Amino acid sequence: MSSSTKSNSLLDWADQRYQIRGLIEFLKHKEVPIGGHSMVWYYLGGTTLFFFTIQILSGLLLLLYYQPGQDTSYETIRYITTKVPFGWLIRSVHVWSAHLMILSLVVHMFSTMLLKAYRPPREMTWVTGFLLFSISLGFGFSGYLLPWNELAYFATSVGTDSVKSVPVIGQWLLEVMRGGPDVTINTLYRFFALHIVVLPITIFAVIGMHLVMIQRQGMAPPRGHETSPRGMPFFPNFMLRDLLLWLMCLIGLMTLAVFLPYGPGLPGVEWELGLKANPLAPAYPGIKPEWYFLWIYQLLKEFPAHLFGVEGPEAALGLVSVIMGIWALIPWLDRKSRQGLPTPGFTDYGNASILFIGYLTLKAWDLGGGGGGDVLPDPAAVARTCAIIILGVAAVQIAIRVLVYHHWRFTTTGAVLLQIILHGFFGMSYLLAGAISFVLAMGVYIIRYRGRERVFEGAKS
Amino acid sequence: MPNTPLEKQVPRRSFLDILLGVGVLGAAGSALFPVLRYLKPLPLEAAGGPVKLSDDDLATIESDHFVIVRVGPKRVIVFRDSTEEVHALAAKCTHEGCTVQFSFEETIVWCACHNGRFDIDGRVLSGPPPKPLAEYAVQTSDDGGIIVNMEIA
Repeated sequence: MSSSTKSNSLLDWADQRYQIRGLIEFLKHKEVPIGGHSMVWYYLGGTTLFFFTIQILSGLLLLLYYQPGQDTSYETIRYITTKVPFGWLIRSVHVWSAHLMILSLVVHMFSTMLLKAYRPPREMTWVTGFLLFSISLGFGFSGYLLPWNELAYFATSVGTDSVKSVPVIGQWLLEVMRGGPDVTINTLYRFFALHIVVLPITIFAVIGMHLVMIQRQGMAPPRGHETSPRGMPFFPNFMLRDLLLWLMCLIGLMTLAVFLPYGPGLPGVEWELGLKANPLAPAYPGIKPEWYFLWIYQLLKEFPAHLFGVEGPEAALGLVSVIMGIWALIPWLDRKSRQGLPTPGFTDYGNASILFIGYLTLKAWDLGGGGGGDVLPDPAAVARTCAIIILGVAAVQIAIRVLVYHHWRFTTTGAVLLQIILHGFFGMSYLLAGAISFVLAMGVYIIRYRGRERVFEGAKS
Repeated sequence: MPNTPLEKQVPRRSFLDILLGVGVLGAAGSALFPVLRYLKPLPLEAAGGPVKLSDDDLATIESDHFVIVRVGPKRVIVFRDSTEEVHALAAKCTHEGCTVQFSFEETIVWCACHNGRFDIDGRVLSGPPPKPLAEYAVQTSDDGGIIVNMEIA
């Protein structure tokens, strides 16, 4: 009894000063919608936040020993992983948690996209989420260079070089990012500042906005269930489930970090320290960026030296910018779902983009190409093997969409698969196959749009 | 003072607004300009003069058929082809800036990052590089010494 009065008096003390009861009342009455679709998707933002918290803590620990510098960056990381008690574990946790955070973030982003959680009034939640995605990629990219090993050096050379394609200020931006015309230790200093000061401050602000929006507006109910009375109290029911999942994430993370401290052994997902960066050593085969950049890396490879009077890399990065731009502006482009109507075209766009990115990512891994050592993989075999895998994935995806979700619009998926078939099985160049598929899909859209106009006119007259 | 119609005169309030706006922009600009200027590093002191390869470099050419050296701010790949002729090309791939290498067996210059291939004069053979590699003039002396000039050959 005494403890309850004590806690009450503590509550009173806080309430008198900070009006905390209102907040508790708010949380008690806040509900998470249930029904309509699986609730699994509501937890992914939370797991992303969990892994982010782990990043802050493990990053702070790494900072106790890490020293940026020509003769210290690589050496201190090696010291952390080989000498400092449990240093290997701290680094392993930081790397694994980084990958899991991006993974959780990507699945969260795709699920909110496919469930159209960006519908009004939650447009800005989507936009802040997109910003968080971009900042997280910035974290990954800047953190990659800090061990100052060979892999990091070349990945950063390639990654920053693409900045020169930015119109007008490209060259200026390149030199500002690198701290000179080439990647040197000056680049590492700048990336270090970015990684531990600039990006954290920015991401804290944006996470704050994102969370305030979610708390104020509540989780997006599934379309068609906006007025559904069914809900689960956020506090304590949903929060306790969240905590349980976080505990499971922690166990999963520790298992991976302890048993696979140097990554799962997949190409492109390995974090052995390797050799120290040497600007005077040639790049070696198999240099690849992190898995979440692989599709852009592969796109750079697919583009020829020149295309329509533009240099290949500029065209490739222009295409990536267009795709990203569309992605960021989806809440405004998807006009019908703003009125609460179904938009199967956008659902299909989201599903198709998974296949599109998946195919490029698999190709970047050179799956089924033979090769290894000094032997280069056979590109035609890679294209075919990856096409077979993606067609298999697509078959499962389409079956689930038709049987479970009763989807009936597959134009974009069809275009992506046509491109993969033409490229993988008929040896057509990736870009030509893509252009043919794009034109065909646009044709289908135009015919359908005109047909709809005619129906409208018929209805009017 | 000429008689301007009242509606064409700038009211005192909007005049002050404009003044305030210009003041704010000016202050922001004067704060921003030094920062932007500070961000861009100074150009490197270009030691443009010819560079003589060290004994270590020459030994590397003997063992690996090529070596990458720093000539002023640039990295240059120096290699000896099967006819014993010495070439010097810019070592930075024109595609995305990886460092190239010389393949003695195929007699090509190759970039491992995106499989760009150049001939021994730096011309693009295949792959995504949009431009050839710059070729630099090389002098060889009788005692086996190699001097790379920064002039484009």
